[in-house]
Amino acid sequence: MKSYLRILGALVCLGIIVLLAIIFVPPQLTKPSEQLAADWKPAPGQGEYAMRMADCAACHTAEGGKPFAGGRAIESPMGTIWATNITPDKETGIGNWSLDEFRAALVDGIAPGGEHLYPAMPYENYRNLSETDIRAMYDYFMNEVPAVNNAVEETALSFPFNQRWGIRLWNWVALGSSGFKPETDAIAKDRQLARGAYLVQGPGHCASCHSPRNLIMAEGGTSSQDDGFLSSGVIGGWAAPDLRGANAPAQTWSAADLKAYLTTGRNAHTAVAGEMALAVKDSLQYMTDEDADAMVAYLHHIAKGERLAAPSIPDQSLSAPRQLDQATDATSLKLAKGVGLSEGELLYMDNCAACHLTNGKGAAEVFPAMSDNSLVVADEKAGLIETILYGAEMPSTAKRPEKLKMPGFAERLSDKDVAALASFLRQGWGNTAGAVTEADVKAVRK
Amino acid sequence: MTDLPGRVSRRGFLMGSAASAAFATLMNPSFSHAQVELPPLEEYKPVFFDADEWRFIMAACDRLIPAEGEGPGALETRVPVFIDLQMTGSFGDASDWYMAGPHQPDASPLFGWQSPLTPAQIYRKAIPLFQEWCQTTHGKAFEALDAETRDSALTALQKGEVGLAPELRDFFSILLQNTKEGYFADPMYGGNYQLKAWTFIGFPGARGAYTEWVTRHNQTYPLPAVSISGERA
Ligand code: HEC
Ligand code: HEC
Ligand code: HEC
Repeated sequence: MKSYLRILGALVCLGIIVLLAIIFVPPQLTKPSEQLAADWKPAPGQGEYAMRMADCAACHTAEGGKPFAGGRAIESPMGTIWATNITPDKETGIGNWSLDEFRAALVDGIAPGGEHLYPAMPYENYRNLSETDIRAMYDYFMNEVPAVNNAVEETALSFPFNQRWGIRLWNWVALGSSGFKPETDAIAKDRQLARGAYLVQGPGHCASCHSPRNLIMAEGGTSSQDDGFLSSGVIGGWAAPDLRGANAPAQTWSAADLKAYLTTGRNAHTAVAGEMALAVKDSLQYMTDEDADAMVAYLHHIAKGERLAAPSIPDQSLSAPRQLDQATDATSLKLAKGVGLSEGELLYMDNCAACHLTNGKGAAEVFPAMSDNSLVVADEKAGLIETILYGAEMPSTAKRPEKLKMPGFAERLSDKDVAALASFLRQGWGNTAGAVTEADVKAVRK
Repeated sequence: MTDLPGRVSRRGFLMGSAASAAFATLMNPSFSHAQVELPPLEEYKPVFFDADEWRFIMAACDRLIPAEGEGPGALETRVPVFIDLQMTGSFGDASDWYMAGPHQPDASPLFGWQSPLTPAQIYRKAIPLFQEWCQTTHGKAFEALDAETRDSALTALQKGEVGLAPELRDFFSILLQNTKEGYFADPMYGGNYQLKAWTFIGFPGARGAYTEWVTRHNQTYPLPAVSISGERA
């Protein structure tokens, strides 16, 4: 008994020492992944382009705020995390930061003085950033971004999440190695695939939304070697769909359609909404043709199995009535006939068919198809319900500037209506997703 | 008939419909797509017309689109409510018309609206004058006359035989036009109660998608009429 107590005492002492070490021993910072010449200078525009690809503005520019002056609230399960001011202002921004300090924030999630950043800052992905991109961005933020004096609200999460040293433990478990390495030889040997892999895993931080989170909220998969990588995640109640399954739209679409989706926010099958619309607007539309092709080639390369063909789209050279006449599936035929419709079908005819048509295919690059649409059939129903209640708007992009808009129906449809309508969409035209309940709608209605 | 200014602008219609959203919720407080049931027309409290004027409007509408014969009448479809609500809006006070003059009320009707008065002012001034004419000519207020005499009184009014001053001469035109509008406008404006007028003429309403019907001839369109707010006939 006595010796048992002694062992216990020793363990407690050891625990305390480890804890103190976690709290007080400064963490090791990641070294540059590549040695660049001291007088290395980015080409004109290189820093801004790297920033676009990494989409720093998505979080660090507040709605209607000055670029990069911070103040955007990022809701997390633990409370609100405020994105900081990263303009070169010396008092409230990062004007005094050295390149090493800047790199540490991006790849280790550590601010000067050793303070750990919350992983709302996606250093889990930015660990893959190349040294040239980091230096180009540092140059851009220090020399091209106007300094803005803007003190951002201090993030104050409740205990225990306000104990930032705890993040160190999380980092030990969650973080992969730093520096980007193509996951297979095949990718490493192909310049285009390697570039695509880098863009997806590094700056594009696609996995931060499109990979599931595991038990400790770390990304379930950081490269295509992991099954979970880009196999669908959840953001704000919306599905960030599977990008790799053989019948996932991202795989069934042609390369041209996937490229069009990423760079213009619309393609022959669908249009972008929600958080992904912001990624297109602020980041992906700026991709060079070469980079866009690389991203598409990589995404198609990491398909799970043989990519299936996308459902056919009506022959756009036919007149609209002829396109509708082509439909042969039960839902299209029933709607077009208009007899014996259920409440959900009638609501679709009264409210939606004018744009999305009775064949549920809409029109290429204008009205998304309802069949085989990830948003419509997602397990997470909030995206669909939110779109019906509050509408959606395509981002304006250089190649396709029209902000085509879906109106919201919150004023016109009750919770019961939306449930009946959404349930119909999820089961019409060959869709096979579960029904939506009134309670589901109630939870989303603001 | 006088060609009323500002009546054909789609934009004006859309803005009008936005402005009427308040009324729409008033009329259709639930989200239900079933037909709206309102208290009887007799219980309606006019917002513009006083009791005397209201009796005239009800009686006149009843003759312009009578209950007997084919289709629902103006009272069944609550056309007087439409006219009453229009009086307090931008039509009644002509707020989106050019009204700054010079006015030439006796100019040829081909010159369009020439009265310095707004439609609401014309209703207000012309109704008592016409009632006076009915008293002198037929010995009773308009609403107390039998149907046949009412028709002949309205015909006299239409033909300009009642002796209204030139600035009031459009009274019959706007009364008739507003009655037709109330009959056929979306129910959100107060008339076309339960989409009865649309159903009568087979107009399917604000569904706005009939593409598959373009190639189908001589087939009955099966879906009920639907209003802008989503009410179904
Ligand atoms: C998904 C949102 C998100 C994106 C994208 C993002 N950040 Fe952050 N960043 C944050 C949040 C949130 C914080 C604050 C974290 C905290 O308080 O612990 C932060 C903190 C920082 C800090 C530390 C600032 C300080 O004063 O402590 C720097 C530097 C930074 N980000 C730079 C960048 C750069 C450069 C990019 C683009 C390459 C970027 N961030 C992209 C969310 C983001
Ligand atoms: C901030 C979160 C977020 C990030 C980062 C993000 N996505 Fe998305 N993505 C979404 C959401 C949410 C949707 C669903 C949008 C919709 O339904 O309209 C989506 C949809 C998509 C789709 C359409 C899939 C389908 O089945 O319709 C593709 C393709 C896609 N994203 C690719 C990417 C790529 C490639 C990246 C990285 C460069 C990326 N996404 C980064 C959240 C994100
Ligand atoms: C006036 C035309 C119009 C009407 C009416 C309309 N929509 Fe849409 N809808 C659009 C447009 C345009 C988009 C693309 C918006 C975007 O993605 O940003 C869209 C997008 C959608 C999406 C999202 C698709 C995706 O992949 O992100 C869904 C779901 C949807 N509509 C369902 C409906 C339903 C249900 C109704 C009836 C209540 C309806 N729509 C009525 C035009 C319309």
